[in-house]
Amino acid sequence: MSINKTYLSVLHMMNVSLEEEIKLFWEYVKRNAAARSKGNRMPTQPIKLYYLPPSPPCRSVMMTARALGIDLELVLTNIMEGQHKTPEYIKMNPQHTIPTMDDNGFILWESRAIMSYFVNAYGRDDSLYPRNPRQRALVDQRLNFDLGTLYKRYMDLYVPMLFKGEAYNDEAAEKLNEALDWLNIMLGGRAFVAGDNLTIADISIVVTLSNLEAFGFDYSAHENVVKWFERTKKTLEPYGYAEIDQGGAHILASFLKKE
Amino acid sequence: MPVDLYYVPGSAPCRAVLLTARALNLNLNLKLVDLHHGEHLKPEYLKINPQHTVPTLVDDGYPIYESRAIITYLVNKYGKGSALYPEDPKARALVDQRLYFDIGTLYQRFGDYFYPQIFGGAPADKDKLAKVEDALKLLDTFLEGQKYVAGANLTVADLSIVAGVSSFEASDIDFKKYANVKRWYETVKSTAPGYQEANEKGLDAFKALVNSLLKK
Repeated sequence: MSINKTYLSVLHMMNVSLEEEIKLFWEYVKRNAAARSKGNRMPTQPIKLYYLPPSPPCRSVMMTARALGIDLELVLTNIMEGQHKTPEYIKMNPQHTIPTMDDNGFILWESRAIMSYFVNAYGRDDSLYPRNPRQRALVDQRLNFDLGTLYKRYMDLYVPMLFKGEAYNDEAAEKLNEALDWLNIMLGGRAFVAGDNLTIADISIVVTLSNLEAFGFDYSAHENVVKWFERTKKTLEPYGYAEIDQGGAHILASFLKKE
Repeated sequence: MPVDLYYVPGSAPCRAVLLTARALNLNLNLKLVDLHHGEHLKPEYLKINPQHTVPTLVDDGYPIYESRAIITYLVNKYGKGSALYPEDPKARALVDQRLYFDIGTLYQRFGDYFYPQIFGGAPADKDKLAKVEDALKLLDTFLEGQKYVAGANLTVADLSIVAGVSSFEASDIDFKKYANVKRWYETVKSTAPGYQEANEKGLDAFKALVNSLLKK
């Protein structure tokens, strides 16, 4: 290993003896190695993710992994051909849903639990899922609002259309708009859904908006949502937004009956 | 430092918060919300919760809603190190998965099946009932070989799920035919601190409400 000349010249300027210089240099090297290994708590083998590209919760998990630098071994699981209902899959996950994660033998499903786990276990910092109880509670409330209300109402409107060839239901659309209105209020005075920074709540919710955009649903009345969506797209660009989320949404859109 | 809880006794998500506070020995300032007269739709309530649901917690002026976000917050803030919501990422992840199973599958399907009947006068839907039974079968599977839903210890996942499942008693759903679920239910009833006061009382209120609604 070559000695850093700049470092030495700085020490010279501080009038330190050569012996002391070398001692200080090696201590500096050791400190940096310790700091690097502390932050390097990555899993020993890539985490397996059972997924299908159009699946919105799978897309959230994949973008979160990219944002955290977590290596995923993607295992294509075609639920439309029952690959989630094989005896092996059911043994692993009795609820037979995607995404399902296998971290070196630790099995987990529910995308929002997976995203939380990724940050808790492997995040170099907590910005995607703050440890401060109040900030975390806000993220958790948004995640629960997403699963229990927003994404639910999106599914109530679109699952019949995507997979059962049914017609557009105005009542279901009205309920979805009500949820988007609540999201709009939550975004008031905030750059992201749970504060000033991107969190897993944004990554969870954005996939629904990507679907709505691909399906041609008009959400323009919700101005905060429109601005947040564009902002979040840009922020997620380096984490595969176009390839993972937009791409997945377009696959789903192709299932919609053409008028 | 006041911790206010806006609630109604019959509501399962509210009872999950009561159970958690009791397990943490935390005093809550209980504030009854008059849903019948639209108190939750008034501007003062919308300010703390634009979705106008119960429960809403206000901790020293800071509002939080969604029961499962409230109960994890209470442990994070007032119960650090508690087994109710463990810090270890893997143990915590399992609790989180059970909580999302609760809101997204189990309690949701119960609501989908039962609430249109009691609040909307709709007839019982066989397909929706089948979905509830499927969710109970999953719960039964999760409980195979373990005392509580997320392992060997009582966690907020048990408290949230028991508040919901106990409400099934007001309906025609026979959840006790699932052996593990029955065993777990009896266990939580006897080990969750203050269960009588925190859940059973409110459950009686819920049953009374259901009876009066179905009589109409």
